[in-house]
Amino acid sequence: MAQEKSMAAIPEFLSKAELLKQGAEARVYRARFLGRPTIVKERFRKQYRHPLLDEKLTHRRTVQEVRSVLRCRRAGISVPVVYFVDYTSHSIFLEEIVGSSTVRDHIVSSPPSARCEGLEPLAERVGQVLARMHDEDVIHGDLTTSNMLLRCGPEDEVSELFLIDFGLSYISALPEDKGVDLYVLEKAFLSTHPHTEALFQRLLKSYAAASKKSSAVIKKLEEVRLRGRKRSMVG
Amino acid sequence: MHLTHELELFPGHKVTQMLFKEVKNAAELRQCAVEGKINGALINPTMLVNPFQVLVAANKAVNSQNNGKMKTRSLYSEIIFNLSPTNNISEAFKRFGCSDGDDSVLVVLIHNEDESQLLADLTARVSGRQVPVEEVSSLTDHAKVKKLYKVTQEEEKSGTLLDAVVCRMAAKDVM
Repeated sequence: MAQEKSMAAIPEFLSKAELLKQGAEARVYRARFLGRPTIVKERFRKQYRHPLLDEKLTHRRTVQEVRSVLRCRRAGISVPVVYFVDYTSHSIFLEEIVGSSTVRDHIVSSPPSARCEGLEPLAERVGQVLARMHDEDVIHGDLTTSNMLLRCGPEDEVSELFLIDFGLSYISALPEDKGVDLYVLEKAFLSTHPHTEALFQRLLKSYAAASKKSSAVIKKLEEVRLRGRKRSMVG
Repeated sequence: MHLTHELELFPGHKVTQMLFKEVKNAAELRQCAVEGKINGALINPTMLVNPFQVLVAANKAVNSQNNGKMKTRSLYSEIIFNLSPTNNISEAFKRFGCSDGDDSVLVVLIHNEDESQLLADLTARVSGRQVPVEEVSSLTDHAKVKKLYKVTQEEEKSGTLLDAVVCRMAAKDVM
């Protein structure tokens, strides 16, 4: 009885937290944890999967997310701090980046006339950060402008760029995987922000300049553009 | 002077931290803790960056206890174990536990009732000067902490030392 009650500590806690978003994979909550503003990502049970398979996949993704976050931090990339991980309820407790907005909102809210020129420094920053991430062999897996946060520094200094949501990330040194990662971003970028081709080119240029292994990746990206994200499996 | 925080995940579980300087009976205190006469964890404050680090370790310890997944024998040894970046228990005690010659010690208690009696009992045992827990940051041996947690220079540019330490503590069972 006591055991059963204590096992439910985290679901009980989350039931009182503020639900921010529900996706196919997880629910995201906002709460206070150890006195700090915290984001909790809970991977819930999928009823449509066999329980054993579900447990295994969910566990692996939780672990992978934590690993990638730590790997990025080690390389000096700004990512939210992991405060606590519970492998029973598959919940990750992360630092809330207070006072931040997504890169998506930032681009959308800037006047269309200035959209290309005014945003160039931002595009360059994104390119540099992604170059550093790929040089560490971290593949994000879900790069969109909604998975990047901007936090204005004190006294309106240069704002800090955070990468979030490493739920689909993995480790790979293959130019193919990095190329696909950029391709996914390109698709997402150009469809959420129409007429920003020049801006995205700026991003790629700064990626190419910052990454040590960029030439192979950019070549792969061109290949992927022609065939799409999936490799052809004919024959 | 002490710092008490109720764990949000485990209502009723409170974590109290106390910091003592100029401690003269560290060996005796350690012996008491080993024998179970002190119901608390004695930590070497030079390895701590901030009281938040202790909260993270304590929260994880209570969670492991509830899930029956503790790696060590008691809740208090689990706190010390959780502070360490490695899974080596004896090394965790050596680095983070209190040693006989120490002149400062941070005591962690986990309790559910009012703390005043517990605190009085403990303060009576320590022959030293109690100081605000926040002062732990002035005792930190930064070089040793960076070396033990393997914090890189790049990482320090993008975040604080506390961030780096907490991340490693939280992620250590999957590394």
